[in-house]
Amino acid sequence: MSELIRPDTIEEATQFLVSHPDARVLAGGATLIAMRNAGLVEMSHLVSLSGIHDLQGIEKTPKGIRIGAMTRHCETAGCDLLTGSLAVVRQAAGMIANRPVRNMGTMGGAVSNADPAADYLPALACVDAIATIAGPDGRRDVAITEFVEDWYETALGEGEILVSITLPLARDEPSLYRKVARVTGDYATASCAMAMDGDAVRVAIGACGPGPIRDTDAEEELRGNLANPDAVSAFAARLAGLADPIDDVRGSAEYRLALIPRLIRAGLKMMQTAEVAK
Amino acid sequence: MTVQTPFTGGTVGVPVAKLDNAEKAEGKALYIADLYLPGMLHGAILPSPVPHARIRGYKLDAALAATGVVAIVTGDDVGEGRMGAFIKDEHAIAKGKVLYVGEPVAAVAAKTEAQARAACRLIEVDYEELPAILTPEEGLAEGAAILHENVEDYFKVFDAGSVGNLATRTVLEEGDVARAWDGCDIVVEGEYTTQAQAHVAMEPCGALADVDAAGRVTLWSANQSVFRVQANVSESLSLPMSKLRCLTPRVGGGFGNKMEPHIQPITVALAMKAKKPVKLILTREEDFEMVRARHPYKIRMKTGAMNDGTLVARECEVLLDCGAFADDSPGVLGYSLLMCGGPYRIPHLKAHGKLVYTNKLRFGAYRGFGNPQVSFAGEQQIDEIAARAGLDPIAMRRHNMLRDGDSWFVGPKIASNGLPECLDAIEKAVVGKRVDGTPRNLGIAATAHISGLLGTGAIVRMLEDGSISLNTGATDIGQGSDTVLAQICAERLKVPLDMISVASPDTDGSPYNWGTTASRVTYTTGRAVKAAAGKVVDQALEYAAQMLECDIEDVELRDGGRIGRVGSNTDLSFGIISARAHWLEGGPIVGTETLVFDQPTHDPKRAVALGLPFPRIGIFSFAALAVDVDVDDTTGETRVLEAWSAADVGRAINPRLVEVQLEGGFVQGMGYALYEEMVWDGPKLANPSLMDYKISTSRDVPDKLHSIIVEDPEPTGPYGAKGAGEIGLNVVPAAIANAVYGATGFRHRHLPLTSERVLNGILSQEGEV
Amino acid sequence: MTRKTLLTLTLNGEDTDVATQGTVTLLETLREDMGVLSVKRGCNQGVCGSCTVVIDGAPVRSCLTLSAMCEGRDLRTIEGYEADRTMKCLQKHLIESGGIQCGFCTSGVLLSAQTYLTENASPNRAEVKSALSGNLCRCTGYRTIVDAVCDAAEELAQ
Repeated sequence: MSELIRPDTIEEATQFLVSHPDARVLAGGATLIAMRNAGLVEMSHLVSLSGIHDLQGIEKTPKGIRIGAMTRHCETAGCDLLTGSLAVVRQAAGMIANRPVRNMGTMGGAVSNADPAADYLPALACVDAIATIAGPDGRRDVAITEFVEDWYETALGEGEILVSITLPLARDEPSLYRKVARVTGDYATASCAMAMDGDAVRVAIGACGPGPIRDTDAEEELRGNLANPDAVSAFAARLAGLADPIDDVRGSAEYRLALIPRLIRAGLKMMQTAEVAK
Repeated sequence: MTVQTPFTGGTVGVPVAKLDNAEKAEGKALYIADLYLPGMLHGAILPSPVPHARIRGYKLDAALAATGVVAIVTGDDVGEGRMGAFIKDEHAIAKGKVLYVGEPVAAVAAKTEAQARAACRLIEVDYEELPAILTPEEGLAEGAAILHENVEDYFKVFDAGSVGNLATRTVLEEGDVARAWDGCDIVVEGEYTTQAQAHVAMEPCGALADVDAAGRVTLWSANQSVFRVQANVSESLSLPMSKLRCLTPRVGGGFGNKMEPHIQPITVALAMKAKKPVKLILTREEDFEMVRARHPYKIRMKTGAMNDGTLVARECEVLLDCGAFADDSPGVLGYSLLMCGGPYRIPHLKAHGKLVYTNKLRFGAYRGFGNPQVSFAGEQQIDEIAARAGLDPIAMRRHNMLRDGDSWFVGPKIASNGLPECLDAIEKAVVGKRVDGTPRNLGIAATAHISGLLGTGAIVRMLEDGSISLNTGATDIGQGSDTVLAQICAERLKVPLDMISVASPDTDGSPYNWGTTASRVTYTTGRAVKAAAGKVVDQALEYAAQMLECDIEDVELRDGGRIGRVGSNTDLSFGIISARAHWLEGGPIVGTETLVFDQPTHDPKRAVALGLPFPRIGIFSFAALAVDVDVDDTTGETRVLEAWSAADVGRAINPRLVEVQLEGGFVQGMGYALYEEMVWDGPKLANPSLMDYKISTSRDVPDKLHSIIVEDPEPTGPYGAKGAGEIGLNVVPAAIANAVYGATGFRHRHLPLTSERVLNGILSQEGEV
Repeated sequence: MTRKTLLTLTLNGEDTDVATQGTVTLLETLREDMGVLSVKRGCNQGVCGSCTVVIDGAPVRSCLTLSAMCEGRDLRTIEGYEADRTMKCLQKHLIESGGIQCGFCTSGVLLSAQTYLTENASPNRAEVKSALSGNLCRCTGYRTIVDAVCDAAEELAQ
């Protein structure tokens, strides 16, 4: 039976993790405790981050919107600062599981776990979010688009924890998170996060590979051509080319690949209607 | 309409709140996991990691030495006794062989559940692996490894014809199908597959067993029949029934999962070995992997008709995956063949099929019992013929439906048939457009189902103070049978509902009741209740006449538990009458009635039947369903926006409870139609958890779900009532598939209609998926 | 032998001392050590909602909560709402509507509904469905549950 450790500072937490390699970080517990209950993971210690003040809260700074790693999904889903181009992140938060789980789960926990089918990563990727990491060697920033390195593997090294996610300030433009799932609150079979950026669109695809799929070069080539169906198809094909979907109980790899262009086209159409409606 | 209890006056037809609702609303209901006995131990099970193997031996030393462990049970601790509803092929725990991944191989009783589970991990089992049979086709192939090497020696309750891995075969035929095709103008045929569905009752299976100083066992368990528990434990442990008392706490849903045994025999074996009470509760994952599920089916169906849509012939061939043990499978096979013609006049009908053992968990009883599978094929073929005949789907069904006085396929007579009214109700209800002005995408289907089957009884006692005790042995699994049976009893006795107390099923004191299954309790047990209550009335009238010193013709039963002299205000309360009977003369008033359903299924003058597992099946209910479906053509995601479910239940004893059965059945059927699927990765279940196997949430159900109760009284039913528990599920997949065809032009022959399949159907308008 | 920790948990307004082992879940502590049986173990994964409890006014999963993290917090199970007007109204409507069948999900449903109506006293039907999407029910098909919550909200607003 593992022991609970409750550090008060980030440094205490990272030091403990370095000296106890079999310890696991406990954020909200929504995923980790479920896995432990199922016998899928064991640990010598659970290092709870809930007492660390620096990991809490959402605040607007001159550099952007800083979301503390221990921010619960319900707070993100209800945050008035996440409008316009950042609404995609708020929408993604609101689609995670259900209300009681959203009262528990955290952005830091979800992003660190890097479940390929989870909702935050594509949304954060399409808004160019930056992850701030703390570890034994100090702090560093990693672009969310580079955070996931392989299936369930992230840029977090030994003893490192996520401190916060920083989003650029919101642009007054539409953004959208859409997920295809079997039932309400299920993990995504495939998902598409999009944000308008002038005459370009930022797109990240989720649940079609180890991490969110984004191609900024392709986005630049599409700039100004959003109304051109061939250009959009070519763009979608570029993203599909970067995808590495699997077959699982939610769907086959072929289905996921087929969804990518369809979700992009449908998403563009929806955002253009929103644009017109504005 | 809401009614406050206590209530005076007639109760049949009144939507009273269930008798157990208050307790459940306050969190006070006690389920199996909530029962505790002094000195109780906790049990845990070691499942088999391999699909097919001989057990060469066990190493138990490390586990026995583990902290808190008191006893371990393996196949070596149970005798040769085998249980099984139709074919007695199953031991209490794996003995000599394992036949599926997840099969219980050993069990530990320890001071805490965590200790019992930890000890299980220390048990070593020496397996000699054998080739695994993963499909029925593999099971039937030449040279296939045989699961039940002595299948021919097993005791069977019917002519099963078991050989090799073929558990049974059934053939039913009326008319001459082979010759009938030539006379058909329209012929449609197709091959269909349906998937395994998990029951997912919110309460996982569990049991608590205690053995007294005389060696008598008391066993509580989550169950749909205390008598099936008793029989199965008795047979598998070679324990005389008199040495085993079976009881039930509140049950958290069943849907078929708890009708036959789960871990009761193992729990009893542990309690006997530990000489202490043992409680064993399955985890959700174990409930998925160890117990049972709905049969996957392969169906070949061909239907022929005249140009005007008149049905002439149907042939239906099915292949069932039995799983490792027969359980209720022969019943499911036989029943689906019996029902595969649907509620129509089809002069030439041949239904045949095979049930094949495989190295997977047993497939068994599940709401609908084979009818949903064959209806998925049959109700789509009806639509296909309708289109070719130029008839709309409702007109086609009306044109061909069975009528009063007709017989069902193979023989049983239909005494009450409300299908015409069900179709009328559906037709009226779906007129018009959606609220937003867009036209509907409708799918229609019709069905029938039985209620009846096997034995039941009722004991009605008038207590000393005139109040009433009702004991039927029927397990209320949440559907409200306690309340409905009390309503029938109260109606017959003309007393308010709160004068009736319903006894909890107990094999020591309850009359035999086969179980809460087959939509049978309202009809079958209700008949016994009404008759037993009638005997109480008769006895009370006789005593009253004696007390009033008049003839029995001069006394009458009055409202509120009174008997009075005709034409006068003079009357006696039940309390006075009962007190006299207890203390002075006559003896306490007890009315009892037992019955076994006795209408034969098979009329040998009409039909041929080989391997029919139930000689006396039941009476018929009918239903029709319409769904309005939206298909998202970007993704294939399919939603039911609105549904209308009309069912002829003879008489709704409690209309609210009938509605909830229709609605709950609809939603469970909708999950089966659209996203529920047990998926195997080789021999192992890939998704035995609620993370990966998804059922509907409150947001996934139609915004509007209308239940329409039709009442065409069943002459033999209590106040005309017949069953409603399963019929609301039967044709949900078929109706949705018919609607998806209308919306996309693609005919789906494989369940579930996942968004992937629906999108593929949209993308490819030729051929089949 | 794992060392036990003495926790003081404030359950339904009363402080109770409980000896717990390590990182046991609140579900287990409530059921096995504190005799609170209204919380159920339906899946132990946080999906089914039968284990729902209310901590500091918010519905959460007791099967995913560590007891050791619960000191100093206000823990409530259905037993703690006996005098609560909103809960009484919800219970009354659920009893009458047909929204209780096997009852295994009922405590969780009522806690989710009570906390939701406390936040939003006049929800529309879609909002009620969203509030309850974390409470799985296999028996009712949900209509009668949603009806009961909507009817209770209406009655409470009067």
